[in-house]
Amino acid sequence: MTEDNEKVLIKGNYAIAQAAINAGCQCYFGYPITPQTEIGEYLSAEMPKIGRGYVCAESEIAAINMVVGAVSTGVRAMTSSSSLAVALMQEALSYAASDELPVVLVNVMRAGPGLGYIYPAQGDYYQSVYGGGNGDYKIIVLAPSTVQECIDYTYRAFYLAQKYRNPVILLADGLLGQMMEPACFGKNPYPDVDVSSWALTGAKDREARAIYSCATDEKKQIQHVYNLFKKFEVIAENETSYEEFEVEDADIILTSFGSMTRNIKAAMKVLRRKGIKAGCFRPITLSPFPDKRIQELASKGKDFVVVEMNMGQMFKDVKLAVNGKSNVGLINRPCGEWLSVEEIVSAVEKIMENKYAASIQYS
Amino acid sequence: MEKNFILAGFGGQGILLAGTILANAFMLEGKNVTWYPCYGAEMRGGTVNCEIVVSDSEVSSVHKQDTDYALVLNQQSFDKFVHRVKPGGTIVSNSTLVAESRPRSDIEYVFAPMTQIANELGNSKVTNMAALGVLSSVCDVVSKEYLAKGFEKVMSGKKKDLLPLNIKALEAGYGILSQAK
Amino acid sequence: MQQVFSIPKSMKKDFRYTFCPGCDHGVAIRLVAELLDEMNLREKTICSTSIGCSVFLYDFLDIDCVEAPHGRACASATGVKRARPDKFVFTYQGDGDFASIGLAESMHTALRGECVSAICINNTTYGMTGGQLGPTTVMGQITTTSPYGRNREYYGYPIKTAEQIALCDGTAYSARVALDTIPHINQAKQALKKAFEVQVQGLGFGFVEILSSCPTNWHMTPQEAHVRVREEMIPVFPLGVYKDITTEKGE
Repeated sequence: MTEDNEKVLIKGNYAIAQAAINAGCQCYFGYPITPQTEIGEYLSAEMPKIGRGYVCAESEIAAINMVVGAVSTGVRAMTSSSSLAVALMQEALSYAASDELPVVLVNVMRAGPGLGYIYPAQGDYYQSVYGGGNGDYKIIVLAPSTVQECIDYTYRAFYLAQKYRNPVILLADGLLGQMMEPACFGKNPYPDVDVSSWALTGAKDREARAIYSCATDEKKQIQHVYNLFKKFEVIAENETSYEEFEVEDADIILTSFGSMTRNIKAAMKVLRRKGIKAGCFRPITLSPFPDKRIQELASKGKDFVVVEMNMGQMFKDVKLAVNGKSNVGLINRPCGEWLSVEEIVSAVEKIMENKYAASIQYS
Repeated sequence: MEKNFILAGFGGQGILLAGTILANAFMLEGKNVTWYPCYGAEMRGGTVNCEIVVSDSEVSSVHKQDTDYALVLNQQSFDKFVHRVKPGGTIVSNSTLVAESRPRSDIEYVFAPMTQIANELGNSKVTNMAALGVLSSVCDVVSKEYLAKGFEKVMSGKKKDLLPLNIKALEAGYGILSQAK
Repeated sequence: MQQVFSIPKSMKKDFRYTFCPGCDHGVAIRLVAELLDEMNLREKTICSTSIGCSVFLYDFLDIDCVEAPHGRACASATGVKRARPDKFVFTYQGDGDFASIGLAESMHTALRGECVSAICINNTTYGMTGGQLGPTTVMGQITTTSPYGRNREYYGYPIKTAEQIALCDGTAYSARVALDTIPHINQAKQALKKAFEVQVQGLGFGFVEILSSCPTNWHMTPQEAHVRVREEMIPVFPLGVYKDITTEKGE
């Protein structure tokens, strides 16, 4: 099931795990949590067969710090987890962002806050995009919407992490992790990244290297943060990506991320049949966020309706990007059953009817 | 064309496997398909189910509130999913374990003794293949030939030995309704 | 002229000594540097550093270092070693880092028998934050967060780290040493050497707990502080080798 073009019916979680192997992930560190446990199970079987590293970590905190250690030596490594346990990893993500270490973290989201439950949800938009760790830092966040994209974006995650020396979160959800869909692995399309200028391999024939975020000199600390943000501007310039459908003649643009994308595309078709000129817009990189394109569309007077499985997290970013130039509505449910095509269609009609005065929340 | 199927039964009746075989059959036929299971603690209660959506174009939604077809292998699943079938849809039930009843008048009912078919073949574990056979006989979208190919795709290696018995169960399920007529 | 003293090659040439006068960190770091030289390990060493006074290790040692968040040095070291099994990997942590916030990581790294070496400086207090009660603060000891002395009622008991780590099946070597006298310093070096050797030989986790002075937070002169190590710490934390699989026979 490795590198070929044969279509296989595969679960999102297994697809991510096998794609990580194909992408050259040398070590996996993880702790079980539904709905992503299959990633660790799969890799516990496959990594030893090819002489790569696998550790059942004692906690998510340990797991992400093992990744930090491993990637500091220049190899590719990752961990995977879900929502509440990703919260435990935020400290290390802040360190990794500051230390410019290419950590790859897969978050297969479930319901929260607190323990929540194993239902799929999209409540970690903030946690991923804005971060739960301390200080000013930015993470690259990729949101797949299909099992095929779980594969494609896993390849991309490892590449971007090393290319920019920045942590990357692959933000999936319980639905995507658990569902099966035909997909093919192909070959990892990205080139190797030269890490020789910074990786820790022992100070042989070169100066010793120390990777740390502690700057006892205030000026250095200030400059360090500016440098991190300058780097992220470059990332935004080069890597911001999104997908859009039928936006040119659209009056109203349905917007979502991750696996909800499928549903808004279907809802768009139904709305068009009903004579409503609907389009779709879907950020692929949630961070960097495609705000420029949203601005462009908004300045042409196109309204937005954000559809998401949380209390309106990406909604706020769309509003910021639109910046008052057009209307922005929200259709949401905090977790559980994905908003159905029928629910989305009927909510869009209601939102248009009441001229964006209120969002439509489903229970 | 887009149709969805809910397959449900006891843990151990091979429901998730049946769904996987069905989804593979659709994939091999060149259709778009998704498979979505109940998962985690929900499975500990004894019933399992999965949902398959097949479409000529992109699948519109992976997890739907209602279904075109429900294939139920035990009473609990019948009671739960009979209300999720779309008007005009069909519920296909394992009459060995499901009492014949018709609580709604706007859907079709099919009853076939799936566990009995499997037992007569000497192995209750092939109930799921018998069930797929029955489903295929009442649903144009599901091809018996591709179900056999789907089985081969899923069962690789040593498990291939199980092929002849499973194909027998598939055929027996497929033929059971015409036999009864 | 015969040279009788030199700075180890594994130490930076231009370091500025930033520890308090009488602090034993300097001695411990020098012992590590001497061993990296003597065992010819410097060029293949990657150190996972910690948080606390021990954080400044990378200011002194001329080796590759990656920082770990507070308590996570053993997890980070595990990652380094699994990624690069041919490298020499060690952690240098305080007792708060190793045995309080990081106890789970430390103990599980030992239980997994990771071939890394860990050094824990035990000075019975949180040094960098100004002398608070830590996991190793002894009964009766006054700190800024135990102003009436450590008692069972409010604080419970200190942890005996070297003994605990010795109980882990993956541990190849566990010892407790002190730096209060020249003979003890020599013993400490031998223990560190052993903890490094078991890693190089692939035998498992190597651990040394070092009883260390903290004159500033103990409000003592360096001399008084070393008397305290001898009279108040060693009776609670006895020196010795608690596990050494290279000398155990028939196992």
